[in-house]
Amino acid sequence: MRNRIALFVVAVALVLASVFAAGARSQSDPLTIYAAASLTDVFRTFDSNQRYSFAGSNTLETQIRNGAPADIFASAAPLNTQRLFNQNLVEKPVTFTANRLALIVPRENPAGIRSVYDLKRKPVKLVIAGAAVPVGSYTRTVLRKMGLTSVLSKVVSQESDVRAVTGKIALGQGDAGFVYVTDARSVADRVTVIRIPAWAQPRVRYEIAVVSRSTKKTAAQAWIRAILSDRGQTALKNAGFLPIPKASQ
Amino acid sequence: MNRRRFLMTSAGAGAVALGTPWLVGASAATDEDLAYANFGISAELLLKDFYAKALEAKLVGGAGRGVLRRGRSASAQHAKALGQLLTGAGDTPPVEEDFAFEWPAPTFKSTASVVRTGLGVLRALLGAYQTAAATATEPTYRALYASLAASVGQQIGALASLAPPPAGVESFPAALDLESASSALDRYLG
Repeated sequence: MRNRIALFVVAVALVLASVFAAGARSQSDPLTIYAAASLTDVFRTFDSNQRYSFAGSNTLETQIRNGAPADIFASAAPLNTQRLFNQNLVEKPVTFTANRLALIVPRENPAGIRSVYDLKRKPVKLVIAGAAVPVGSYTRTVLRKMGLTSVLSKVVSQESDVRAVTGKIALGQGDAGFVYVTDARSVADRVTVIRIPAWAQPRVRYEIAVVSRSTKKTAAQAWIRAILSDRGQTALKNAGFLPIPKASQ
Repeated sequence: MNRRRFLMTSAGAGAVALGTPWLVGASAATDEDLAYANFGISAELLLKDFYAKALEAKLVGGAGRGVLRRGRSASAQHAKALGQLLTGAGDTPPVEEDFAFEWPAPTFKSTASVVRTGLGVLRALLGAYQTAAATATEPTYRALYASLAASVGQQIGALASLAPPPAGVESFPAALDLESASSALDRYLG
């Protein structure tokens, strides 16, 4: 009996030691996660123990190609991860969430924008992201689908990522801007959200992959499993992201 | 030659042989021409879902089921044709997986409700096709949109016959711009 108790104590001690060790590793030796700017809030909330670099996915792609010390790359468009995968710079990417676009206007709405079609009818200072940035590319898809590409002549500023577009509209530095629904939520008290019809929505798919040069691949793979788990998907859902599309599962 | 123009030219060359004349000469299509196709294919996929659910509900039998089956088949064929048009123009057509169609709870509880909802969708789509037929810059697109409008008009008559009182014939159904037609279907498209 005494031997069994001793064995139990040793087993508990080992389990506790491994848990503390894992915790210590994540705090003292965190993963470096390069992620699309639109993932800023949700990733930090999901796991505050890692080291993040948030920016436009195209910028992050370039940095990884140039040898940046990332362990994980989470992109707002498959294009960026797939290009790196084709050059063996990341391991096989997986889709982990989806999103939708919205038009936001400042609460005061000086241009009187009430529908996406008002962008064509009214004089407006439009803020969008650059064409190489995923949200900028998705914006142009929306405008093309709706037959509104002519409003691109009203663009006064092209930003490097979605947070910059969101910030400018929230501060009233533009009359309207295209952002992800999830980013619109982060400034809900300062902007009005105008819905984009479902038929004009682009396919916004987020992909994630372990960076080939990472020296922490096991931990990186575990982190990706965590974001794909029920807990990760719930965190994304709570932040307004959409579930993994069936076609991507 | 950019990718879009290359695809348009290639599509146009093979269009006659494939029996898809609306792809011929698509090189001059404007974004507005294609916007109606994008909306149309989405609404046709919505209609296909509507007809399928109406059939599942088993509220009508006999000839009525034939009306629903033919409507479902027409919607599928229309979606395919519009998909070819968009692909030919270098665009990616929407597919069913892009949508989470939403039907109000009572929609499939009675024949009257099925007919009322279906007519609402069909009239919005008819209005959009009428405008597209009148405004498309491509003659082949105009022909396609006019054909689609005629088919949707037939569906309106057939569906209306399933529930009394019989719907009156409209001499001049209202044409709708894209914004109005889109607003009419927004709550169903998810």
